[in-house]
Amino acid sequence: MEAPQYVAARVQRALAEDERTHELGIRVDVRGEQLFLRGQVTGDERRALIADVAGEAAPGLTVRNEITVMEVRGPGEEEKL
Amino acid sequence: MRELRIAAVGDVHLDESLRGRYRERLDDIEEHADVLLLAGDLTRHGTLEEARVVADEFRDLPIPVVAVLGNHDHHSDLPAEIAFMLSEAGITVLHDDATVLDIDGVRLGVVGGKGFGGGYAGKCASDFGEPEIKAFVGHTKRIAERWRVALKELQADRRVVLSHYSPVKDTLHGEPLEIYPFLGSYLLAEAVDAEGADLIVHGHAHAGTEKGVTPGGIRVRNVALPVLGRAYGVYCL
Ligand SMILES: [Fe+2]
Ligand SMILES: [Fe+2]
Repeated sequence: MEAPQYVAARVQRALAEDERTHELGIRVDVRGEQLFLRGQVTGDERRALIADVAGEAAPGLTVRNEITVMEVRGPGEEEKL
Repeated sequence: MRELRIAAVGDVHLDESLRGRYRERLDDIEEHADVLLLAGDLTRHGTLEEARVVADEFRDLPIPVVAVLGNHDHHSDLPAEIAFMLSEAGITVLHDDATVLDIDGVRLGVVGGKGFGGGYAGKCASDFGEPEIKAFVGHTKRIAERWRVALKELQADRRVVLSHYSPVKDTLHGEPLEIYPFLGSYLLAEAVDAEGADLIVHGHAHAGTEKGVTPGGIRVRNVALPVLGRAYGVYCL
């Protein structure tokens, strides 16, 4: 059986290199038969696409998509330097 | 001399699916800021289609917009074409050079470019060994030298450096230590410290933190959108 670290590394590389995602900021963890994805993205579509690409790179594992979709708030407080 | 309000954001990573979403946050920007700085990674894959979305989101704002590109904007090998498209939309794109804006009689100088990696003092790649390593480190060295010259020649009342990669470690806090050499280089901070500036803004480190300082005491702000969690940061000088 392939060591889980190598599976996670392959998924991370796929997310960065696959032209559908080019996503560098997602944390990937493999625990048993489960593949956990964590991080923040800007939309639901992107969140789903990342799970697709991750799933393809690790067939047989159950993808647990824990990525959150970030809402961009207004500018908020200014800082005086 | 009046206070300048500098708005800055990076890593908006726009594509067609996000068209219009960012623009709605910019409606009243002139009430909050005098200038908007874009710290690179404006697109996802560096394509012209995505660059068109960026141009449309940031065109015709009531305040000037100055940008640098990021590594994602280089992915399709079209940085010059992207920069041209943005400049057609009225955005000033810096490539290791400077621009001076007149804001109600106050001259704001902005120096910058993409920057590059290599790591931080004592734990960094050096200009030694295989040609691939020398090319990597040499790229950063040349960039830092161009920034130093641009800052030396800059005639302005306030000086801001705009980068994509980080000049300091402080603002990387939250990123894995192992990837620091790919997130920035101390050579960038060293060049800015040598000539002086009032503020450095950068992006790229999505999991980092907002606030840091160079060894010479210049304030650094990581304005990557996922770090800010708000449309842009505003810094008053
Ligand atoms: Fe980015
Ligand atoms: Fe980046």
